[in-house]
Order: sequence, then structure tokens, then C-alpha cells
Amino acid sequence: MAVSRITQRTLTDTALRGLQSSLGRVQGLQEELSSGRRISRPSDDPSGTASAMVFRSQRAANVQYLRNIDAASSRLAVIDSTLMQISERLRSVQALMVQSRNGGLGQASQDALATEVEAIKDALVDTYNTRYLDRPIFGGTIDEIIAVDASTNAYLGNDEPITARISRDAVVRVDLPGTAAGADVVPDLMDRISAAMRSGGVTATEFDDMDAVFSTVMESIGDVGARAERINITRTAVDSQRLDLTTWISEYEDVDLPETIMNLQAQQVAYQAALGAAAKVTQTSLADFLK
Amino acid sequence: MTGFSTLNTAVTGMSAAQRAMDIAGQNVVNANTPGYSRQRLGLVSSGAATSATFHTGNRAHFGGVEVKEITRIRDAFLEATRAAAGARQEALTAEHTVLAGVEGLLAEPGDTGLQSTLDAFYSAWHDLATNPSDTASGSAVVQRGIAVTDQLRYVASNIAARWGIAHDDLDAAVDQVNRAAAELANLNVQIREGNAVGRSVNELMDRRDLLVRELTEVVGATAVTGGDEQVTVHVNGVTIVAGSAAQELRVTGSLDLDGSLSDPPGLAWGATPVSVDSGKTAGILAALRTDLPDLADRLDGVALALRDSVNILHNEGFTQAGDPGGDFFDGTDAMDMTVIPTSGTELAPALTAGTVDGSNAARIGDLMDDRAAKDVLGSDGPSVLWRDLSAVVGVRVRSLDTAMQVQETVLASAEDAVQSNAGVNLDEEMTNMILFQRAFQASARVITSVDEMLDTLVNRTGTVGR
Repeated sequence: MAVSRITQRTLTDTALRGLQSSLGRVQGLQEELSSGRRISRPSDDPSGTASAMVFRSQRAANVQYLRNIDAASSRLAVIDSTLMQISERLRSVQALMVQSRNGGLGQASQDALATEVEAIKDALVDTYNTRYLDRPIFGGTIDEIIAVDASTNAYLGNDEPITARISRDAVVRVDLPGTAAGADVVPDLMDRISAAMRSGGVTATEFDDMDAVFSTVMESIGDVGARAERINITRTAVDSQRLDLTTWISEYEDVDLPETIMNLQAQQVAYQAALGAAAKVTQTSLADFLK
Repeated sequence: MTGFSTLNTAVTGMSAAQRAMDIAGQNVVNANTPGYSRQRLGLVSSGAATSATFHTGNRAHFGGVEVKEITRIRDAFLEATRAAAGARQEALTAEHTVLAGVEGLLAEPGDTGLQSTLDAFYSAWHDLATNPSDTASGSAVVQRGIAVTDQLRYVASNIAARWGIAHDDLDAAVDQVNRAAAELANLNVQIREGNAVGRSVNELMDRRDLLVRELTEVVGATAVTGGDEQVTVHVNGVTIVAGSAAQELRVTGSLDLDGSLSDPPGLAWGATPVSVDSGKTAGILAALRTDLPDLADRLDGVALALRDSVNILHNEGFTQAGDPGGDFFDGTDAMDMTVIPTSGTELAPALTAGTVDGSNAARIGDLMDDRAAKDVLGSDGPSVLWRDLSAVVGVRVRSLDTAMQVQETVLASAEDAVQSNAGVNLDEEMTNMILFQRAFQASARVITSVDEMLDTLVNRTGTVGR
């Protein structure tokens, strides 16, 4: 400061300015510490704010993807267990067909087998009408609460896919069309089998049709399992990304405690030194030395 | 020369010393008075007759000391530098105050800002996509949509309110200018009259300098001192005070934020527009003319991008009843945006009429990804625009912060320069007091000596050896 003439006023002003700026820095650090945030408003770090906002948005998206994944998993789990039930029921019908075909059975026994098949058919139709979230799982997107009409055997569903976004870049199909579970052919086939039993026994045609349906169902079980697996893998990736994002947000927005506390300590020492200097300088006066 | 005239000489010394003590006292008591300039006694020795006279011969004649003037120690250049630095600081501070208020409204980055509200809105669409026939999910979408419009309106109306407050500040500042200008013109008159009758006008001039500083800090005025110690004040070439005449400024332009782009607020003298570069009013005008309208415009951009992106997709979908979706958002800016559907059944989650399909809801939910929004709109989506807005406010406030810190040191050194020139140094004044006290004593001693001398002359002459 190229000032030659010093007055009491400039002394106190300089001292006061030093105290002000020192106290200002203490206040800034104290605000960071008490709020725990390095960025409380955009101007604290404009570019950091933009990044933090992007990360926050991506984290919100990832949280939503996880919700979608949960919904997709439970939907596929329901489909999977339903397919298992269907395959078991088809297998028991196959066993009954083998008995019917083996011969040596009287018509009364064939009728008994037919009654059993009819009972299984009712159970199968119920199974095809299994609902998830109040919607038939094999109905596609139809606006009905059943996929198979129990009285007409008609398949009401469509093949429209139901999809879910499970990550920023992946969409997965989370339903199974009824046709892939045999919903369109099984009820009729069951009727044909029981009718054949009532008229003497099942024939090779019914066996072939049954085998075809059975392999369709088994294929679908494999397909659903593979999709469930893929969703699980994605879940791990999305979840770890969500944790990463949370860490990054924290790195941008939250204070580094040890560093900030050390800075505060240093500023407090500086403030005390400034106070001491101000007290010493402003106390002296020529009046003290005159008689 | 006679012994009696020496008495007179001594008396002038005593009165000069007394006068000097007066001034030292005035300086000391005003050491902390804002705007006070220290005063100095200008002394000259008087009465020395220099030319020889034929009849009397050349005899020196000493007439003592004379108080020639009482000067005010003040440097107009330093004073003007200090005032200009103050004016720039005032401009920065005024603009900063307005923008820092807006910055607080954004609530970013955080869980309560528009970004989070938007994300929650898109999430609600995803939930509806998972379960398109669920009425609860549908109402959640409607509620989240309303939350977004509420937040847009909150920010927009607060920006408008802050514009109004800043405009009130401008009115108050202009009132202050007009009052100060009138007082300054009045002081011009008093100073001229004081000078005419030889009265000391130093205190009046201090008061006038304070007014000039006030005018500089408020409208960035510059002052020129002309003949007769009359100050003329200009604002960017427009004279607002000349001699005893003061011109009134007034505020022109729009009275609300909406009109501020087409009819920006300003100052004028009569019909002459007055542009202001520095001072508090410049800062307020920058906020009123540029910053706040720009933010309001950007916020409208966010609202329109949101409206258009969601509406485009919603129009392509079908409701549960199989009707075309229509618009989701209605409105023309951030202030008047509303959600059209009132219940979940009016939403269009399906892409195929007559099906229970959530694929359109999923497309709208996917807008949370900036790329998807850009694909739909062909330009940046609401989230990107909102982040831009937040960054713009942040950068502006930050740069004003930095500029203020720099200006603070500039102002401090300018103030130091003024103070070191015009400020009172108590040590100096006390030294002067001692100096003049001694001078007074010495002059008194002269009188005593002359008295003794005269005593000798008058009473003892001729009595030697008596």
C-alpha cells in the first residue's frame, strides 16, 4: 500500500477489513460444516451443481429401473410357477393317456380316466386364467379378466408384448403370450382326449398333439427362466450404478469433514491473530505519552 | 517601530494560536465524522513594509501574523476515484442481491428442486406402465403432474415478485437521487453566498461532497467544480444539477416483468432517457432489464419443453376406454401450466386402442432420459433446460461474488487514499496543539517582556541613581 500518511481512521479501517474477511471465511466454513454440504446453492460451484443435478437425475432413473426390475421379476416368477403347474398337469394327463392306450381297459375304466382328464382340464383352464395385478398373465393386453373362456374353450388373448425398461438402454419383455403356454390349444385338446377315452381310447394323433404342446410349454419355461436370469444380472448392474451415483453425488455436494475442520482450525487461528493485532494497534495513542 | 506596536504583534500571534487550537479541536472532534476533511490554518506574516520612503527612511515594520485562510485538505481526484469505486461496488451489490434471492428459489441441487419433482413425475409414468389398469397409479401420475406445474408456478411467480421488489428499490433510489440533487443545488447557493460574505464554508463543502458521493453511488454521477465553487453534476452527459437548479429524474418503462422485454425499465429526465453505467440503479436496472427477464424466459422454455414432449406422446396414446389421449399439459408459460386429466382414467397409457397396455406410459416415463426427450422434441428436454437455468444463475451469482471481492479491495485502497489525504491523524493534531500552545505562551511572554520594557521606559527613566 503506497500510502505515506497514516491516520487513526485508516488503521482501524484496515484492521476492521481484515477482521471482516477473516470472519467471513470462518462463517463460510462453519456453514459448510453445520449443513454438511459443500454445495448449498448453485453459485457455490456452478459446474459441480450441474454435474450433481445430472447424477441426481440418473440416480432417480436407476431407482425407477430397480422398481421396474422388481415388478418384472415378480411377474416372470408368477409366469414361471404357473408354467410349472401347467407342465405338471399336462404330464399327469400324459400318464392317463398312456393308461388309456395300454389297452385291456374296460369302457368303465376309460370313462373314469376321461372324468379325471375333464377335472384336470378345468384346473388347467383356471391355471391359464391366473391373474397378476388383476390381469390375466396369458392374455397379452386384452381388456378382459380371463384369457380362456371355460365354456367355449376360446382363447381371448393377443400377442401384444408387455415390456419393461430395466436399465437406461435395455427393455425386456416381461409377459408370455398365451399361445406359448398352449392356452389356445390345450382346452380343446383336453376335450378331444376325454372324448376319445369315452369312445374307446386315445389315438396316436392325441399323443402327437400332446407332445407338441408339452414341448412348447417346456420351451417357454426355458425362455422365461433365461429372461429372469438376464433381469437379475441387470439388477446387479443397475444397483451398483445407483450406489456409484450416490457416492459421486456425495463427492460433489458433501463436505470433506477432515479437510474442512482443518481449514476451520487454521482460519480460527488467523482470526485470533487478526483480533490480537487489531487490539494492539488501536489501543496506542500519543495521548498516553503526553503529560 | 514602537514598543506599543510589538504588543499588537504579540496579540496577533496569540489570536492566531487560538485560532489554530480551534481548528485542531475541530479536527479532533470530527476525526470519525463521515466525509469530514481535515482543515489547516493558512498563516502569513503581515505588515512588512518593503519599499523605502524618502521622508522616514527604510525602516522595517512588523505587523505580526495574519490568518490568511482555513483550507480544507481534499484531493478532488482521489475523492472522485473513491466515489467511482463505490459506485461500481453498489452496482454489483444491487444485482447480486436480486440474483442471490432467485438462486435460493431453485433449491438445487437437492431433493426439493424441480429436477426431483420432474423425476418423480416420470417415475409415476413408469409405475403406471407396470400396472396400466391400476387407478391408484393413474392418480399418482396426475398428482405428480400437478406437483410439477405447482413448482414451475412457484418459481415463476417468485421471479415476478422479485422483479416487483427490485422495481420498488429503483423507485426509492430515484427518490433518493432527486432529494440529494435538490439539497446539493441548495448547498451550491449557500456556498456562493458564504463565499461572498467571507464566511467559512468548509463544513458546507464537506456536506456537499457527501451528497456528490451519494449521487455517484446511486446513479454513477460525476461532479465538476466550476467557478464560484459551484458544483455541476452529470449522469452520462445529462446534467442533473447545475448551480442552483436541480433536475428531477423519473423511472420509465414497464411496471411488471411481463412487459420488461418489450418496454424495459429505465431512467429519464423529462423525455430524455438517461443511461446509467454504475451505481446502485445500474445494478437494479441490469437485474430488471436483463437477468430476471432472461430467467423468466428460460423457465418458460422449461415449461414449454415439458408440455410439448409429454403432449406429443400423450396424444399418440389411448385411454382405457379407447379414446385418443389428447393433451396432458395445458398452458403457454411456466405461470399458467395446468394438468388437463383430473383422474387416472383420462390418461393414455396404451399405444393400441382397446387394450390394457402400458407402452405409451413407459415412453412418457422414458423422457426422464435426456436423449429420449431430445428425440421427441428435436431439441433439449425440460431437465436439460432446467439444469442450464440453474447453471446460468449459479455462474452469474458466482461471477458477481468474485467481482464484488475484487471491487472490495479496489474500494478499500481508494478509501485509504482519500483517508490518508483528508483524514485526521490524532497524533498530528495533538502535536499541533502542543505547538500552538507553546506559540501562545511565547506570544504571551512577548507581551510580558514588552510590558516590562515599557515599565522600565515609563517608570524608571530618569530615576537612575535616585
